[in-house]
Amino acid sequence: MDKNFNSSSERKLNCRDVGKCFKLLESILDGEADLESKALLDEKLEKCQPCFEHFHLEKVIREVLKTKCTKRVVPVELADTIRQKIQEIK
Amino acid sequence: MSEVQRKKYSDKDKNAIFDQEFMPHIDSMYNFAYRLTFDEDDAKDLVQDTYLKAYRFINSFERGTNAKAWLFRILKNSFINEYRKKSKQPSKVDYQEVETYYNSDNVDYNMTSDLRVDAVKDMLGDEISNALNSLAVDFRTVIILCDLEGFTYEEMAKILDIPIGTVRSRLHRARNLLKEKLKGYAQNMGYDTEEDQ
Ligand SMILES: [Zn+2]
Repeated sequence: MDKNFNSSSERKLNCRDVGKCFKLLESILDGEADLESKALLDEKLEKCQPCFEHFHLEKVIREVLKTKCTKRVVPVELADTIRQKIQEIK
Repeated sequence: MSEVQRKKYSDKDKNAIFDQEFMPHIDSMYNFAYRLTFDEDDAKDLVQDTYLKAYRFINSFERGTNAKAWLFRILKNSFINEYRKKSKQPSKVDYQEVETYYNSDNVDYNMTSDLRVDAVKDMLGDEISNALNSLAVDFRTVIILCDLEGFTYEEMAKILDIPIGTVRSRLHRARNLLKEKLKGYAQNMGYDTEEDQ
């Protein structure tokens, strides 16, 4: 028996409470959830297809924002200018 | 500030706090400022103003508390008070109307996106940045604070002067808008984002 087919076919195709579930998933991804909520996560991911898909999409969105968003280099003189201005107001 | 507060730190203390607790955040501050203003000179001015204010009000900073959040709050307030006036942002009245809408905590979680995980993974930094930059400033801000700078909901609530529930709902909306933008890019890249008929 195809393992992948088997595991995904066990998931419900409709989420019973999208609002509550997605709120929970997003809190977990943002590092805001308590242990009890985290315990619920595995169950959701295993049993509910919409939750599974939402979780992975939200996760990858956060990852690309964190790792790929182009960062600008601070102009070299900025720190010196700030220190100089502070000397002036002292 | 009160007389009592004014005497809190010696000059030596002030310099130590400034160098050890404030200056290490200049990178994050500059990137935040740039993403708010989209202009190098404005970003520099904004960061400079923020540091000068931070020094002036240093006695209201508790040593060892979250300096980064404290500085970000000053920067965000400076931006609202000074830079927003200059730029072509909506006027104060418009802004407040929009605020009321943003601040509603009732979020529609039912909107699911057909954006594919693989499509997002394949996107370039510039595409992610552009999508983020195209969001309205209040939505952009929560994503920067949460995903780029790693602030907690509670810290964000303090920086933005809004309740935690509003942080949560605004973030949810912001990410949905971001997904819509990314979906547009994914379609251009040739990813099939439509559901099978
Ligand atoms: Zn579910």
